[in-house]
Amino acid sequence: MMAGMLRRLPKSVVSLKWYQNSVSAYSSDALKQKEAPIVDNSVILDDKEMKEREKLTHLVNLPKEKTLASINGVPEEHVKDRRVRIFIPAKNAMQSGTNNLNTWRIEFDNRERWENPLMGWSSSADPLSNMSGVVEFNTKEEAINHCEKNGWKWLVSSEERKKKERVKNYGVNFSWDKRTRVSTK
Amino acid sequence: MAAKEPVKRVIQQVRPILSLDRDEARRRVLNLYKAWYRTIPFIVDKFDIPKSEEQCKSKLREMFLRHKEVSDVRVIDMLVIKGQMELKECTKQWKQKGHVMNYWQETVEPKPADFLSKFMSGQN
Amino acid sequence: MLRVPLTRAICLTHSSRVLVTASARLQSNIPAKAPEKVEVFIDDQPVMVAPGTTVLQAAAQIGVEIPRFCYHERLAVAGNCRMCLVEVEKSPKPVAACAMPVMKGWRIKTNSEMTRKAREGVMEFLLANHPLDCPICDQGGECDLQDQAMVFGSDRSRFTDIDHAGKRAVEDKDIGPLVKTIMTRCIHCTRCIRFASEIAGVDDFGTTGRGNEMQVGTYVEKLFLTELSGNVIDLCPVGALTNKPYSFSARPWEVRKIDSIDVLDALGSNIVVSTRTGEVLRILPRENEDINEEWLSDKSRFACDGLKRQRLITPMLRKPNGELEAVEWETALIGVAQAVQNAGDKVAAVAGSLVDAEQLIAVKDLLNRLGSELLCTEQKFPTADGTSGTDFRSNYLLNSSIAACEEADLVLLVGTNPRYEAPLLNTRLRKGYVHKEQDIALIGPKVDLSYRYEHLGNSSSIVQDIASGKHPFAQRLKSAKRPLVIVGANALSRSDGKAFLAGLHSFANQLTPEDKNWKVWNVLQTNASQVAALDMGYKAGVEEIVAAGPKVLFLLGADGGAINKDNIPKDCFVVYLGHHGDNGAPLAHAILPGAAYTEKQATYVNTEGRAQQTLVAITPPGMARDDWKIIRALSEVIGTSLPYDNLDEIRDRLEDVAPHLVRYGRLEENNFYAQAAQLAKLQASSLQGDIDVKQRTLADFFMTDSISRASPTMAKCVQAVKKAQATA
Repeated sequence: MMAGMLRRLPKSVVSLKWYQNSVSAYSSDALKQKEAPIVDNSVILDDKEMKEREKLTHLVNLPKEKTLASINGVPEEHVKDRRVRIFIPAKNAMQSGTNNLNTWRIEFDNRERWENPLMGWSSSADPLSNMSGVVEFNTKEEAINHCEKNGWKWLVSSEERKKKERVKNYGVNFSWDKRTRVSTK
Repeated sequence: MAAKEPVKRVIQQVRPILSLDRDEARRRVLNLYKAWYRTIPFIVDKFDIPKSEEQCKSKLREMFLRHKEVSDVRVIDMLVIKGQMELKECTKQWKQKGHVMNYWQETVEPKPADFLSKFMSGQN
Repeated sequence: MLRVPLTRAICLTHSSRVLVTASARLQSNIPAKAPEKVEVFIDDQPVMVAPGTTVLQAAAQIGVEIPRFCYHERLAVAGNCRMCLVEVEKSPKPVAACAMPVMKGWRIKTNSEMTRKAREGVMEFLLANHPLDCPICDQGGECDLQDQAMVFGSDRSRFTDIDHAGKRAVEDKDIGPLVKTIMTRCIHCTRCIRFASEIAGVDDFGTTGRGNEMQVGTYVEKLFLTELSGNVIDLCPVGALTNKPYSFSARPWEVRKIDSIDVLDALGSNIVVSTRTGEVLRILPRENEDINEEWLSDKSRFACDGLKRQRLITPMLRKPNGELEAVEWETALIGVAQAVQNAGDKVAAVAGSLVDAEQLIAVKDLLNRLGSELLCTEQKFPTADGTSGTDFRSNYLLNSSIAACEEADLVLLVGTNPRYEAPLLNTRLRKGYVHKEQDIALIGPKVDLSYRYEHLGNSSSIVQDIASGKHPFAQRLKSAKRPLVIVGANALSRSDGKAFLAGLHSFANQLTPEDKNWKVWNVLQTNASQVAALDMGYKAGVEEIVAAGPKVLFLLGADGGAINKDNIPKDCFVVYLGHHGDNGAPLAHAILPGAAYTEKQATYVNTEGRAQQTLVAITPPGMARDDWKIIRALSEVIGTSLPYDNLDEIRDRLEDVAPHLVRYGRLEENNFYAQAAQLAKLQASSLQGDIDVKQRTLADFFMTDSISRASPTMAKCVQAVKKAQATA
């Protein structure tokens, strides 16, 4: 969690810088500005509006249990009954590439699919099925948070495994006293 | 089940949407409720729906109580905003009769709830 | 090196414990002689690696992947594709990263001008003789050559065919019904050759000719006679070797891939199920170092077309005239419930080989509520009077774990043919044989295990001799550092199985391996359901049921033939609960269609005692339902509802019964070895006759359960192997 926050920190610094740059650019050279400049209209606000604005600079505490289920409009059956598996994808046995095996993914339980009578394509009534294995997370905690926020039951199903170290030696193909000597080429 | 250890969270502070605390949020909810309550006679009249004022009021109450567990101030605010939108759509008559009747979901067939009927109908 | 035995001697006396810790501390102060690491720089990033590490491995450590075709981490280094050429500073030529060990201070550049030029050159040569037919190639979309040509190849071609001679073309070879060859596409990486000779132990593949004339093949037309042939499809980096049953059926981007577990043998190999439109198209292995590494046996891989055939899709009841009639669930459940209610406590259940833990627990709970304890598995295990039998988990598990089998230095196989009962355990043993100088001996019929072993004979008296220490091999086991005794479950299911168990188990316990935690006693199960069933308290073998003569008998996918028309009472109402219309279904008076392993989220425990779960890849066909839900629904109709409605609740129940059943992927420690052996020793009976195994040759391997028996591909395999054996 901490690591995740620390990772996020530089990003916000960057965006802040960008903001400052854009403001300073406005003050120095208005002709280069492509967007409407941010005008400080506090002078024209009345008392009530000022109060509202000031209030927005305050902070509110979020409750520990966060859930989006009541406002995101997702039907109940896609919140209550969904089971999410959190995992790191395994290497594809058909290929040697490993670049997409470094992030955590989520996968939903599989619902019924059927052949569409019109075109023979695969139909499904499950709007979440296309999110399976696509959304990426840096850590499993992020993935867990995401699931809990959406009210899904989750299960972490793979552990981060360290790769076994192997000794690779071209010479063993030709060693005279070992069983690793190869007969066929 | 393999790894269901609870996740530790730190308290997060965020910018408010409208309200700073629960009291204020509660006030907004009550205001919205009152506004709806007073509009109900007009809705029944204008949309010509086959529902009495009493039925509408109990529906209103039901819709509000559905979210009674919500404790997040921002979520309450967001629900109030959504309720406000609905209200406006009703009073301006942007909705039509069918839209209003949708609150009762009379045409929706209830899904089987107990295990055996779910099993027979093939739903999990 | 006197120190180690000395501390052990001191350990025996209690009073000198202080001394022991002191000496232990002394020992830890002595710096361990770890090989000194060397520092190399990959693209200017420093990385410390053990000496002897190859450039490619060093780069992989910091996440730099060097392109390769011939190199595979589980095969020997070949170094012939040259795709992994990289520049090393101050070296005049690029080096082959896969074969070159790093030297101290090397600066390796994996993305320099020279490296890129080298790759481009290699790629140009490869493509000059590779057909550009990606749209009609089955490898398209998951082809290493395709991907690497896009990334590292040149954007233009110098290949001009001015003579209209065409590209190099090679005749296709027929190597069996599973692997399709299009040899023109071959880039001579020799991965298949190395797999066949190193892992499968079948030296059939090789190259003939040189240069442009070089061909990979079997020299004379010959079947690729191994139970692991499907793996060369995965290994092939191009489309030269492709999956024959799957050919032209789908592209990798249109299928959905679901991680699951294989149940056709007791190892629980990790698999990926590819599906499209409610149909399982193919099954691929999923990497798991602890179980199947990266391989999969042919049965597990190719029997998936059996999931579409011979399926039970509606509930059925037998009419008075003896015909089975398709009925609605309601009718079927009521029919079964009436029979159960009339039977009182004379209800029994037999679990077949593919049953999951959820179903097992639901049936057990239901029968217990009805007052019956007649719950059995099809396969026998010695439990009879006096033996601890299935009371101790360590009695019936592969205790040392699958991965540890390759570490052993002396293995004794008794009454098992691991090559066909558990092909991936056999590859472990072969790995130990090839790389770690493991020695293997076998008691049982002489079979081809793909490596050399000492055949001690097939008479069961040899087992007795070893158990009593008379046999010379017993001495070798005693002096071995990491000995293993692996006993086949089929040998233990003999009528004198308890003598096997008693003799060998107590003998195994007498052995003193170097490591105190090394486990000698191992049972190789053959049924995926057996361990979970025994964990839950099912009795092994159907004798009790036959003796009791139940009025209602539940067959839970029991197709093994232990129950037949003759050994159950005439008036017994048989309920078959399973997914295939196989040997068990014709007996049934009521058929309740269940889900196969690709269609349910279910728990299986493999032979080493590791619980794993399958996931839903497709929904069960027709009116078939999740098996445990059928039992749950039936219980409600009978009037004694089981207290779980969803998967979480039934898994909580599983946790109550045996917590390890829901600790997925973990291996539980076992103990009570000494006690188990002690109890076993009370039994002494003599062994007679010869030991036999069910699966002797490759032809016996393919069809062993209801799914593989329904598979046309498996039928073709049996046919092809029989033909090849007849002509050979």
